[in-house]
Amino acid sequence: MYWVSIFTEAGIFAILALGLDVVWGWCGDFDLAFYGYLALGSYMTFVLAIGKPVPPVKYIIGWHLPVPIAIVAADVVVVGLAAIIGAIALRNLRDIYFAVTTLGAVSALYLIVQNYTPLFDGFNGVYGLINPGQAALRLTYNGYRIVLLVVVLAILFLAYLLVQRLSRSPFGRMLRAVREDERAAAAYGRTVFSAKYRAYLFGAALAGLTGGLFAIFISAFNPSAWTPQELLVIYAAILVGGRGNPRGVILGVFVVYTGFVELTRFLPSPASRPEFGPSMRQILIGFLIILMLRFRPEGIFRERPGVDREPGPGARLGPFRARAAATSAGSPPAGPAVAVAIGIEVQPRAAEPTDAGEGLPGRPSRGAPRDGHTDEDRGPQ
Amino acid sequence: MGTFLVSIGIGLATAAILSLSAVAFTLEYAVSRVANFAHGEFLTIGAYAAYTGQTFFHQNVIAAALIAAAAGMVAGLVLNAGLIEQFRGRAGITVFIATLGASLILQNVLVIVYGAANVSYTFAQGRLHHVGPFLWTTSDIEVIFSALAVAGLIYVLLQRTRFGKAVRAVSQDRALAQVSGIPARRVVMQTWALAGAVSGFAGFVLADTVGTFSPTLGFSFLLLTITATVAGGIGRPYATLGGALIVGIVLQIAGTYTSSAYELVFAFLLLVVLMLFRPNGVFIRGSAAAVRA
Repeated sequence: MYWVSIFTEAGIFAILALGLDVVWGWCGDFDLAFYGYLALGSYMTFVLAIGKPVPPVKYIIGWHLPVPIAIVAADVVVVGLAAIIGAIALRNLRDIYFAVTTLGAVSALYLIVQNYTPLFDGFNGVYGLINPGQAALRLTYNGYRIVLLVVVLAILFLAYLLVQRLSRSPFGRMLRAVREDERAAAAYGRTVFSAKYRAYLFGAALAGLTGGLFAIFISAFNPSAWTPQELLVIYAAILVGGRGNPRGVILGVFVVYTGFVELTRFLPSPASRPEFGPSMRQILIGFLIILMLRFRPEGIFRERPGVDREPGPGARLGPFRARAAATSAGSPPAGPAVAVAIGIEVQPRAAEPTDAGEGLPGRPSRGAPRDGHTDEDRGPQ
Repeated sequence: MGTFLVSIGIGLATAAILSLSAVAFTLEYAVSRVANFAHGEFLTIGAYAAYTGQTFFHQNVIAAALIAAAAGMVAGLVLNAGLIEQFRGRAGITVFIATLGASLILQNVLVIVYGAANVSYTFAQGRLHHVGPFLWTTSDIEVIFSALAVAGLIYVLLQRTRFGKAVRAVSQDRALAQVSGIPARRVVMQTWALAGAVSGFAGFVLADTVGTFSPTLGFSFLLLTITATVAGGIGRPYATLGGALIVGIVLQIAGTYTSSAYELVFAFLLLVVLMLFRPNGVFIRGSAAAVRA
């Protein structure tokens, strides 16, 4: 049962990580508000599903919706919040300015939830969603937990299929092009804000869904469950697995999550110092982030370039590819990934001189043919 | 009107601490082009060093302040050598995330050493003084004057010494400074030491002013620091001082008329407004064009 619980939690976080990877991995926006979306999704699921508050407990709404509907409705609220934050933060702000704005947003949300008790009962939080549907399905406690694991893994799989498909779609490639060079992408007719905004809302929707699942899983939620530091574990997992690679991201979550839980379970946690174990875990996460960034920023699995079945439209973007590749030098997924992001195929091993992505950086190689690819380039990806 | 002026007075004390923290943050940014997320931990380290020190030095405030500054200086040097320099040439956001990791490490090391519970100093706060329309405790006055002194010291260091000239050169263009014969690496090191020392001292006065503190002291002060820095204009020390003054007073007034629990909410709103309309600081009339780090 212990492992069922661990895997359920890891599965839930893997869905969250997939959403976060769309925002950070594909768009390059380092979002610190993301865990707030999970939290809001969780809170909203509670207040929509557990019925009227019993004094002195206070919270808003207090409906008695069926849990799946509550999760969907909660998700709508989450996307609404993301629409506001995204509209402010994504329009002009990038990099650390974006990160700081989102940090401010989540801090503000945290303070309001904590101090304004009529919202979600302040620091006490909300609770009472205990194994919804267990009676209806006539399951034992353990049986219910296993069913929950299966449901979570099924949703994870569906989310993976969706994200994977999106990753290879023109939309996914456009996001990566925008990440590598906004001005160039804009010059080629991409609306930068709209692209980033849609991706941001998609990521937030996954986070809100995760919040709903999390509500069922832990059956109580209060501000101590979503301190800003929680998000760093997810970032560490994405870094380990491979930013921009959905499969790597899922693997990263399972490795980091189960790995750290298992490792830190055996740490001594004396009664006089109950915080020793969790703190040790945070310290290890911190080191993991720094070491991955320093020595292997692309993670275990690299971001895999998408494949365009029709090379036609992409080929027109020849000079753009060179510029995008040149300006991306230094950021983790450089080179061929860029070229492919906007719809051109490049095989990493095909290092032919005409490939501007591997040629001299700085300016487009004039001599290169517009479509610098032979048929051999198009191997299986 | 009386309440208003008193809150401005308290705001001045907050602003004084904020300006120290923000100047240090901006100095770090100026020489390394890094928004240091672990900056808050410099403050926390200073506060805890003084906490440890006070038992040895029998309530001597000056000794405690010096210990805090020394500890902050060590933290600045270690972070620069151990992390920032290792990431030279990498994208700003990458280093930012790395300092986030460092922040996590430092914060939790402090939790392990000192525990997560609140602690407090035993220094006397002094009695209340009416200074003009303001109402200050003795330690408020000490905070304001020491901040002025430190700001003056930084001004003299930057404007009147060879070191200051070198810092300004490095912050303009490190490579160019290097080829002009300025030992850039050493100057960056010294700047981080200075920033760390100022932060450590700021952490001590912050902890003394708020009364009780825990290992998240500096982390929760970071958003205010960044807001103040952005208000002035990141990377420009004197403008940062002015920005901190404005932010400190605005927040204090907003907090007086609503609830101080929501101070960070106001800070965030202020930050958003600043970033959208005055991304280069309130002192420069600039467009709100795309802002990049």
